[in-house]
Amino acid sequence: MTDDLQSLAAGLRRRDPDVLDRLIEQYQQRLFRYLLFLTGDSALAEDLFQETWIRVLERGHQYNAKCRFESWLFTIARNLVIDVSRRKKFRSLEELGDPESPQPYEPPDERSASALQMLVTRENERAVQLSLLKIPAFYREVLLLRFHEELALEEIASVLAAPISTVKSRLYRGLAALRSALPEGAV
Amino acid sequence: MNENVHSRAQQLFAQLLVEGLSPSDQAWLDAHLRECAACSRETSFTRELLAALRGVPVAVPRELAARTQVRVRLRAREFAEASGSNALLWVVTAASWVLGIFSAPLVWRAFAWVGAQLNLPKLVLELGFVLWWAVPALIAVAIVLHQRAVRNGARSL
Repeated sequence: MTDDLQSLAAGLRRRDPDVLDRLIEQYQQRLFRYLLFLTGDSALAEDLFQETWIRVLERGHQYNAKCRFESWLFTIARNLVIDVSRRKKFRSLEELGDPESPQPYEPPDERSASALQMLVTRENERAVQLSLLKIPAFYREVLLLRFHEELALEEIASVLAAPISTVKSRLYRGLAALRSALPEGAV
Repeated sequence: MNENVHSRAQQLFAQLLVEGLSPSDQAWLDAHLRECAACSRETSFTRELLAALRGVPVAVPRELAARTQVRVRLRAREFAEASGSNALLWVVTAASWVLGIFSAPLVWRAFAWVGAQLNLPKLVLELGFVLWWAVPALIAVAIVLHQRAVRNGARSL
């Protein structure tokens, strides 16, 4: 495993396009899902997907083989999302910058929901998908990283550049929010 | 059972999901869930919810990976070319410095001869001598900056 990460780090330092090709293939699903869940906008998620990989190429020498590649990848993607949110003032993304302020769970408007809905294909996941859209982005993000990507708490803290206590608190609140956003029997 | 017991069960279940439980808490929770149908139903629902969350499929747009690979390859090529031209620039710069150092006495003598022929003040000679060395370097810097600006402009399109 460590040897794999070392050779991956060496490939990134060399800016080897073959290494990048393999990584793009391997992580396309996970990265796109993460970006889509954060932004709720498929066109924006596509742009950010491409920008993330360009940044991986440019900053490959900064990758530390001691940490998992996906943590580093999600960190880059998240920083890009924050940059975009600062430039364009997306409501759902602004939530990432102000995570601890308690806000009521307001259903998002139909247009912002539709992009994510269109990309979720199985009908029986519709209820979960809709409940995800109802909860703030910073809860959605930690729930995805923990229960979908199965990252450790320390890894999530590294992606968020936040203390582990913050990660735990968001997970607890996120679980409660998800639970209350979905009526029992809907799953 | 009072409300506190159910509330504790829910808290422990959330803790189990987020950070894990100590063996004693786990044993307490297991025992409670065996006895309490409401809490058991609640935890099952949350488990199903998380399972459904894991199962939410997201379709990556067709060709997105391929388009990204093309962009990344183009950018990698730009980096390779830039690093190649930078190497050439360093070699040329080093050669020009070596030549400059060794030819400086000859150039100074030439400037002194021209100054004597034209009867120019020493300040003009010194200024001309400095410009003789500085102007090519300034032109080279301007070319490098221009190339970089063109590259950045093309990338931002």
